[in-house]
Amino acid sequence: MTAAFVMAAAQGLLALFLAPGVVGLIRWLKARLQNRRGAPAWQPYRELRKLFQKEIVVSRNASWLFHLAPFVVFASTLMVAVLVPVLAAPLPVDRIGDLLVVVYLLLLGTFFLALAGLDPGSAFGGMGASREVTVAALAEPTLALAIFALARGAGSTNLGEIAARTMADPLSAVSPGHLLAFAALFIVMLAETGRLPVDNPATHLELTMIHEAMILEYSGRYLALIEWASALKLLVFFVLLGNLFVPWGLATALTPGAVATAAGALALKLGVLAVAVAVLETRVAKLRLFRVPELLSASFVLALLAVTSSFLLR
Amino acid sequence: MAPELLLLALSVASYAVGALAALIVRGMVGRALVAVGALVGSLATLALGAWCLATGATLAFAAPWLPLTGLALRADGLSAFFLVVVGLGGAAASVYGFGYSAHYDGRYSLRLLGAMFNVLLLSLAIQVLADNALTFLVTWEAMSLSAYLLVLVEHDQHGTVRAANWYLAVTHAGFAALVAAFLVLAGGDMTGSFAAMRSATLPPATRNVVFLLALVGFGTKAGVIPLHVWLPMAHPVAPSHVSALLSGVVIKMGVYGLMRVALDLLGGGPPWWGGVVLGLGAVSALLGVLYALMEHDLKRLLAYHSVENVGIILLGVGAGLMFQSYGLPGLATLGFIAGLYHTLNHACFKGLLFLGAGSVLYATHTRNMEQLGGLISRMPRTAACFLVGAAAISALPPLNGFASEWLVFQTLMGGALVPHPEAAIGMAIAVAMLALTSGLAVACFVKAFGITFLALPRSAEAERAREVPASMQVGMLVLVGMCVALGLTPFLVVPVLSRALAGLGGLPLTPIGFSLRLPFSVSGVTGEMSPLLVGVGVLLLGTLTAVVLRGVADRRLRIGDTWGCGRVGQTPRMEYTATAFAEPLRRVFAELYRPTEDLSIDFHPKSKYFVRSIAYRSEVEPWFERLLYTPLLSALRGAAVRVRQVQAGSLHLYLAYMTIALLALLVVARWSR
Amino acid sequence: MDATFSQLAMLGSSLVLIFGLILLWRRRVPAYINAFTGQSIALAGVAGATGYFGNEPELYWVAAFLLVLKGAVIPALLRRMGRRFGTERELDPYVNTATSLLMAGLLVLFGYAVMRPLVATSQLPTRASIPLAMGLILVSLFVIVTRKKALTQIVGFLMLENGIALLAILGTYGIPLIVELGVFLDALLGFLVMQVFVYRIQETFQTMDIGQLSRLRH
Repeated sequence: MTAAFVMAAAQGLLALFLAPGVVGLIRWLKARLQNRRGAPAWQPYRELRKLFQKEIVVSRNASWLFHLAPFVVFASTLMVAVLVPVLAAPLPVDRIGDLLVVVYLLLLGTFFLALAGLDPGSAFGGMGASREVTVAALAEPTLALAIFALARGAGSTNLGEIAARTMADPLSAVSPGHLLAFAALFIVMLAETGRLPVDNPATHLELTMIHEAMILEYSGRYLALIEWASALKLLVFFVLLGNLFVPWGLATALTPGAVATAAGALALKLGVLAVAVAVLETRVAKLRLFRVPELLSASFVLALLAVTSSFLLR
Repeated sequence: MAPELLLLALSVASYAVGALAALIVRGMVGRALVAVGALVGSLATLALGAWCLATGATLAFAAPWLPLTGLALRADGLSAFFLVVVGLGGAAASVYGFGYSAHYDGRYSLRLLGAMFNVLLLSLAIQVLADNALTFLVTWEAMSLSAYLLVLVEHDQHGTVRAANWYLAVTHAGFAALVAAFLVLAGGDMTGSFAAMRSATLPPATRNVVFLLALVGFGTKAGVIPLHVWLPMAHPVAPSHVSALLSGVVIKMGVYGLMRVALDLLGGGPPWWGGVVLGLGAVSALLGVLYALMEHDLKRLLAYHSVENVGIILLGVGAGLMFQSYGLPGLATLGFIAGLYHTLNHACFKGLLFLGAGSVLYATHTRNMEQLGGLISRMPRTAACFLVGAAAISALPPLNGFASEWLVFQTLMGGALVPHPEAAIGMAIAVAMLALTSGLAVACFVKAFGITFLALPRSAEAERAREVPASMQVGMLVLVGMCVALGLTPFLVVPVLSRALAGLGGLPLTPIGFSLRLPFSVSGVTGEMSPLLVGVGVLLLGTLTAVVLRGVADRRLRIGDTWGCGRVGQTPRMEYTATAFAEPLRRVFAELYRPTEDLSIDFHPKSKYFVRSIAYRSEVEPWFERLLYTPLLSALRGAAVRVRQVQAGSLHLYLAYMTIALLALLVVARWSR
Repeated sequence: MDATFSQLAMLGSSLVLIFGLILLWRRRVPAYINAFTGQSIALAGVAGATGYFGNEPELYWVAAFLLVLKGAVIPALLRRMGRRFGTERELDPYVNTATSLLMAGLLVLFGYAVMRPLVATSQLPTRASIPLAMGLILVSLFVIVTRKKALTQIVGFLMLENGIALLAILGTYGIPLIVELGVFLDALLGFLVMQVFVYRIQETFQTMDIGQLSRLRH
C-alpha cells in the first residue's frame, strides 16, 4: 500500500520534471521539420530557470487573485499528474480521482487563469480569457463523450481500470469505438493545450492568440509556474492518450523490472505523440477563431460515433 | 411530547411571532424580531429535518378540526430532506435579511416584507409535510401568493409589476393543473390521505394523465423550459434575500412535488416518463446557461442559472425514473440521490450567489455588470464569498457543485446498462449536453465574477462601494461553509440520502449502500473519487509550491502599470466588457440567439478616419418564447374581448348576474339527483 | 474468427463513413477528391475482407474494380475537372459547417435506429456495420442537398454510390458480380453525364455555383 502511494507520488514528480522536456522536444522536432536547427530539447528548462530568477512586475490594479491563480493552476495540474497512470496502473490513487475528476481539475485551473487574465484590466487579458473559456467550454462535450465511450468499454471511469481492461482485451484497442474516441480526444488535446491549429504557442502578440494573451501580464516566477503547468497539462493529455488507449508497457506490479519497462514504453509513446504533434503543426495553418467551433464539433461527431459504435458491437 | 412535534411547534410558533412582529413593531427592533423569528423557525425546521433523517423517526400529525384545511402532516425521508433544504436556505436568508432590509426602511413596506417572508417560510415547511391533497394544495397556494407579494415589494421599480403579474399568471395555470392532477388521483376525496392514493390502482391512461398534469404544474414552479418565462423576470426584482429563497428553495418545491407524485404516489411509470423528464432537464440546463451567458444584469444572470440547475436536478431525477422502469433499482436510487444532492447544493450556492449579488446591489445600487468592476478591493469579503459560490456552481472540485454533478454524470453513464440502445444513446447525448452546460457555466461565472469584481470600477457608484454590514456577511459565510462542507463529504451525504429514499415508490426497502471502500471516497456504480483528498491534495501541493518557491526563486516584486501597448495611464474604458466577453460564444451560437444588432458611427466631418462616437446596441431575444407564448396570449386576449360583452358597467346588471347564478345553483342543488 | 471479421468490417465501415464526413468539414475541392479516393480504397478493403472471411471469391474482383475505377480513374478525372476550372471553394453552404457536422451525427444515429430491426434479426458477422452504411447514404444525401458547388455535389453523389455499394457488400456479401458491374458502369456513365453538364454550366454562368441555376426560370 505504502509502496503504491510512493509510486503515485513518484509518477507525479516524474511527470513534472519530464513535462518541459516534451515541450522542448516538440519545438526541436518542428524546427528540424522546417529546416531550422532549433534549440535543444532542454531549452524550456533553461527558460524556467531564468524566469524563476527574475523580478516580477505586477499591475497596480491587480488583486490577491492575481497572486493566487498561478499556485492554483500549478497545484491542480500537479494533482492531475499524480492521479493519471504515468508508469503504473492500477494504483490506489485511482480511488481519489477518476477521469471526470481529472477533467474538472483541469477546468479549475482554466477558471482561475481566466479570472487572473481579467484581473489587471487590460484588454488583452480579457480577450484571451474570453477565448480560452469559449474553447474550454466547447471542448467539454467531446471530452465527456470520449469518457463515456471509454467507461462503457471498461465499466468504470477509474483510470486504472480503463487501462487494465484494454490490456486484458487487446482486440478492443483496435475497435472503432476506441479509435474514434482516440481521434476525438486528440483533437480536444490540441484545443485544450493551445496547440495549432487552435492556438499558436509560438506567438506572443497576434490578435489570433488565446492562451498567451490571457497570461500577458504575468512575469517572473508566476509566469514560470504557469508555463510549467501548461507543459504539464500537455504531458497529462499525452499520458491519457498513450496509456488509456494503448496501455501496454504500464507496470501492473511494482517490481523494478516492470517499472523500467514502463519507463521505456512511456518514452516511446511520448516520442511518437510528440512527432505526431510536430508533424501536424508543421503541416497545418492556424484556424480562424470562428472555425475552431467547427473543428470541435467535428471532434464531437467523432466521439458520438465512438459511443454509437460501442453500442453497435453489442 | 415527541421531540419532532416539539420542533414543529417551535418552528410554527416562531414563524408566526416573526410575521406578527413585522405587522406590529416598527424600525430596527421590528426588523430584528422578523429576522429572529425567521431564524429560529428555520433552525427548528432544519433540526426537525435532520432529526428525522438521522433517527428515521416519522412525524405524523393530523388536525381535522382546523376549518377548511383538513390539516394532515407526515414526515418521511423525502419530506425530512426538503425540510433541511428549507431550514438551511431560510436561516441564511433571514440573517442576511436583517442587514439588507435596513435600506428599505421608509422606502418600501417593511411590514409586507417581514410578514410575507415568515409566511413564505411557514408555508414551505408545512408544504413538504403535507399528507393529503388539500393540505398540499392550500400550502402550495399560500407559498405562491406570499412569494407573489414578496416579488411586489419594490413595486415602483421598472418592470416589477409586470414580472409579478407574469409570475402570478403562470403559477396559477400550474396550480390549475395540480388541482386537476390531485382530483383525478384522489378520486374526488381531497382530504383522503396520501396513503390511500398510494394503494389506489388507476388504469394506465389515467396514470399518464396525472403524471402529465403534475409535470406541467410542478414544471411551472420549478422553471422548466418552456414554462420558465416568469422566473428570469420575477426572481431578480425581489429583494435579494427573498431572491435567494425563491431560487434556492421555492423552485425546488417543483422537484419535491414531482418526486412525491411521480415516484411516491404513482410509484413510477413507463420509461417515457423518465425520458420526458430527462429531455426537459437536458434542454433546460443547456438553454438556461446559454441565456445566462447573454445577461449583463447580475441577478437575471443568476435567475437563468436557476433554470439551468433545475435542469441538472431533473437529469438526475429523470434518469432515476427511467432506471426504475427498466428494473435497475441501484441506478435509480443513484439518480434520485444525485438529483436531491444537487437540490441541496443548489440551495446553498445559488442562495450564496444571490446574497452576494444583493450585497453588490446594496453597495452600488446597480445590477448592471457593465457599470461594476473593481469591487474585489472595495468589498473583499463579499468578493471572496461570491468567488466560492461561482466556483461551486461551475462544478469545480472540491466544492459541492462538483460532488453532485459527478453523481449525475455517473448515473447517466450507467445508461450503458440499459437494454434499449435508444435510451442508452439518449443518455449519452444527455451526458454531452450536461458537459457542455457545465463548461458554459464556467465561462459564464468567469464573466460574472471577473467583470463585477475585478479590474477597475466602471462607474462612480462602483468606485464608492464599501463593504456591507456584518449580518449580511454572516449570512453569506454560513452558505460558504455549507458549500465547502457538502462538497468535501459526499461519503457522508450519499448514505443519508440513500436511507431517506429507501422504500419510496418502487425503490427497495433496504438502503442501497454505494460501496465505501476507501473511507474518504464515494463510489457509484462505475467510478470512485474523493473530493476531500483531492481538496487536501491541491491545497498541500499549492502550499508546498509556495514554500519551495520562497526558498529557491527570486522574491523581488515591482508594482507597475498594466501594459497598454505603450499608452500611459489606464482607464476603465480600456477594459473588456461583459458584452465583449460573451461575444465569441454569441457568435458560435448565433443561430440559436438570433441577435439583433444596431451599429451607428458618428464620423468627424473632416475625415471619416476619425470617429466621434460609436453607438452599438445588440439584443438577444428568446425567440422560442415568443413562438410559444404569442399565440397563447392572443387567444387569451380574443377570449377576453368576447367576455367583455357581458361587462356593461351597470351595477344592476351585475346584481342580476349574481341573482341568476344563485337561482341556478339552487335549482341544480335541489333537482340534481 | 467471426469476432475478428466483425471487428474488421466495423473498422473499415467506420473509415468509409469518416471519409464521407470530411466533405462537411473541408472546403477545398482537392481535399474532397482525396477523401473520395481514401473512401474508395477503404471500401475496396472491406470488399476484400468480406471476400476472404465470407468465402466469396467474386468479391475480390469487386475490390479490384473499386480500386481501379473509384480509387484511381474517377479521382483522376475529377482532378482534371478541378484543374480546368481552378478550384472553387465551398464557402457558403446552405447549412453552416458546425451545424452540418452535428446534423450528420444525428443522421448516423437515425440510420442506426432505422436499421436496428434488421441488425437484430440478422446472423451475419457484418451486421453491426450495416447501420454505418445507412449513415453514409444519409450523410451523402445531406451533402447533395446542402452544398452549392457542382463539384461538391458530384463527389457527394459518388459517395452516395459508395454507401450503397457498402450496404450491398455488408448486407448480402455482394450482389452478383454482373449486377455490381452494371451499377459501377451506371455510376461511371452518370459521372460522365454530370461532367458534361458541369462544363456547360461553367460556360454559361462562369461559375459552378448551382444556386445560379434558379436563374434559368426567368
